[in-house]
Amino acid sequence: MKGLKFGGDMYVVLIYDIEVDDNGAKASRNIFKICKKYLTHVQKSVFEGDITPALLQQLKLELNKHIRENRDSVIIFKSREERWMQKEFWGKEDDKTSNFF
Amino acid sequence: MSESFYLFSDGELKRKDNVLRMTAPDGNFKDIKVNMTRDIYLFGEVSLNTKTLNYAGQLSLPIHIFNYYGFYTGSFYPKETNVSGNLLVEQVNHYTNEEQRLIIAKEFIEAASYNILRNLRYYNERERDLESSISEIKGLRNEIKRTSDIHSLMGVEGSIRKVYYNCWTSIINQEVDFEKRVKRPPDNMVNTLISFVNSLVYTSCLTEIYVTQLNPTISYLHSPGERRFSLSLDISEIFKPLISDRIIFSVLNRNMITEKDFERDSNYYYLKDGGRKKVLKEYDECLNRTIKHKELGRNVSYRHLIRLECYKLIKHLIGDKKYEGFKIWW
Repeated sequence: MKGLKFGGDMYVVLIYDIEVDDNGAKASRNIFKICKKYLTHVQKSVFEGDITPALLQQLKLELNKHIRENRDSVIIFKSREERWMQKEFWGKEDDKTSNFF
Repeated sequence: MSESFYLFSDGELKRKDNVLRMTAPDGNFKDIKVNMTRDIYLFGEVSLNTKTLNYAGQLSLPIHIFNYYGFYTGSFYPKETNVSGNLLVEQVNHYTNEEQRLIIAKEFIEAASYNILRNLRYYNERERDLESSISEIKGLRNEIKRTSDIHSLMGVEGSIRKVYYNCWTSIINQEVDFEKRVKRPPDNMVNTLISFVNSLVYTSCLTEIYVTQLNPTISYLHSPGERRFSLSLDISEIFKPLISDRIIFSVLNRNMITEKDFERDSNYYYLKDGGRKKVLKEYDECLNRTIKHKELGRNVSYRHLIRLECYKLIKHLIGDKKYEGFKIWW
């Protein structure tokens, strides 16, 4: 774990869509909790943040246990660095990704 | 890239849903993405329980704590997981052998004073007229090689610092009454800033040392005293001119920080919350700044330079490659 924490990076936006059915609530809850460990929760089912390729892989492995094939979908938008991604706020602006609180 | 989290708010730090959650008294909260976190800085009045500490320990996440006045009080330093008996033995060997200890200690001062000169040269080129101080320091640097024990080496270091600090009033555009370095408690704006930013550098070095196999208590320049991680002091010596001093010059010369950001309280002179935040923002940005590394041929952040310093030291200790302190090359 510790060794993976540092080093090469990329900036990703992760969004997910979980089918609401019998097990939907459970899947959604688990996926939410796992994503929180790696990325910043910015909107209902949207996460973003810096991550390393290795940790992204680890996130994927963790999520795969809970994503139900043919029902749920997770999309990852990858960018080399945060500054190469133009981010705009329409409406309320917030600084959820800030590391100051 | 992993992040440092700076928590100013009062409140509670708790484990929740497998992340650490900081909840402010008004109910606002911030989730800390633990897998992407390097360390946590606490500046407010925070309560936390052993569950939190256990979790932080499990994640190898150091927590640095500062008191009301912004002075560093200590760190929660998780159990060492990267340990190496061999390296520890070598570390101690190099300490007990006076000759070998001196080689490393000299290298620290050599590099630190070089970086100090770099700063002075920069401002000399900007019409500050520091020529005489520069040559004085150059002269003193020649003595480093000639010293034969730690004590006299420390003496040379002290003289270099004295000349250096004397230049500060001409480097800083604001009217400051900075005459000499005073600690415990710092008595004016500049001393307070030095204490604060230096303690940040110290914690960053500690975080980086923690990831390596080095033992943070065995040091070469500073005496490995009780109750502190003195290797961290050694390594921060090299980076202070690059990181803290430059930040201090820049926040003062841009008038980002002025007397208004300070408060006097009986015998303390301390940075108010707002000022502390501004400085920390600068600090965080500074450590994330990258430069192209000559030998590695890739971009590395200032923070990573600290880690590389630890690695170089390890190489020296295990007899792989002679240690050469970091010198600003740009």
